[in-house]
Amino acid sequence: MRTSFMSQMQRSFSIELPKLVPLQLPSRMETHLWYVLPDEVKSTSLLKHYSQLLSPSEKDKVLQMRGDELQKNALLARTLVRTTIARYQTNNAVDPRTLMFKKNMYGKPEVDWQNYKNCNDPPLHFNISHTDSLVACGVTVHVPVGIDLEDKERKIKHDVLTLAERFYSTDEVKFLSTIPDPEVQRKEFIKLWTLKEAYVKALGKGFSAAPFNTFTIQSTAGTNGGYNLCKEKTEECNRDWKFGLLELAGSHYAAICTENDQANGGAPMRVIVRKTIPFVEDGLISESIFL
Amino acid sequence: MATSFCSSISMQARVSATRTRFCLQKQVLVSNNGKSNNNNLSFSLRRSMPARLAVSCAAKQETVEKVSEIVKKQLSLTDDQKVTAGTKFTELGADSLDTVEIVMGLEEEFGITMAEERAKEIATVQQAAELIEELVQEKTT
Repeated sequence: MRTSFMSQMQRSFSIELPKLVPLQLPSRMETHLWYVLPDEVKSTSLLKHYSQLLSPSEKDKVLQMRGDELQKNALLARTLVRTTIARYQTNNAVDPRTLMFKKNMYGKPEVDWQNYKNCNDPPLHFNISHTDSLVACGVTVHVPVGIDLEDKERKIKHDVLTLAERFYSTDEVKFLSTIPDPEVQRKEFIKLWTLKEAYVKALGKGFSAAPFNTFTIQSTAGTNGGYNLCKEKTEECNRDWKFGLLELAGSHYAAICTENDQANGGAPMRVIVRKTIPFVEDGLISESIFL
Repeated sequence: MATSFCSSISMQARVSATRTRFCLQKQVLVSNNGKSNNNNLSFSLRRSMPARLAVSCAAKQETVEKVSEIVKKQLSLTDDQKVTAGTKFTELGADSLDTVEIVMGLEEEFGITMAEERAKEIATVQQAAELIEELVQEKTT
């Protein structure tokens, strides 16, 4: 008889774990990107400890996922968010279990700081994304952030141009249709998808605020990994949002979008990428390859 | 031949500012020779109402099943991952790109087009089936 992932969690013994190592906040110029590889987290007792960090409603949501792998990844996503944010609280050690979350009026999750009256830290923004094999969380201060991940090898079951014509802007369709190699075309489609999705998530106003076919994201020739956001009909391009596209863990495209903070004068995006296993170890990924 | 009938009438009222549709739906289960049999005959009785007045109702079992098949194929689900009317796509691990591909698969299967805003609001199999039936109905009236 197969036992569910969560009932295995209930039955394993939990181990004493070290305290969370505090983190220095991102500067205004930076985005911090944290990721976990679910395949590297195998210890049942560690996973049980993680499950104890979650709120009752988060646990319910994990249990609603249909399948053990999906439940594990959902658990890791919530664990990553809670532990990462708790670690940035420099004034007082914050127990990740006590963090509360709420949704803005469009449904975008954010931290609910109501219990932390003495919090002098600048407001942290975060956004998560995950696939079957990777869970990531982006963190910024002061400005909203959106991230999106896709497996580079992800198969698109429909014709790429048909999908683009249906959902992307005119200029994006033009760009994709000039690519002769179908494999390169598929990859460019996916990269664009992650960039567009990251923007909508950064905006935080729901899908209807920015339907995909109302804006174009194009790479700016000559800059290191820069992109422009332009409106479909008017073709006006604005500098209100910054984009970055990276390759993560050799297997994924990760797109990041942050609001352009006037204070940093529109400098290009700087991303610090770290791989982590909460409570166990962090690794700084020194080479962020912008695509 | 043993036959057993199980009938239920389900009605769901949803009133929108512009128009609503009314439909009465009856589901009948038929089994032969005591063997369990998955035939579901569903009858829908549609009264013609003034174009302005209609109430949308729970989708036909057949539509729900077709939607489930398309979802299973798109997400490459294993046999132990059950899909029912109430299943949310996110519970099956669908991300936004999966949802879009599912929508395209549904559009192809049913010969309809879903506006992006409505398509993105679909969270469950049931909701997809209801939207499909609404669009199919619009096509034919």
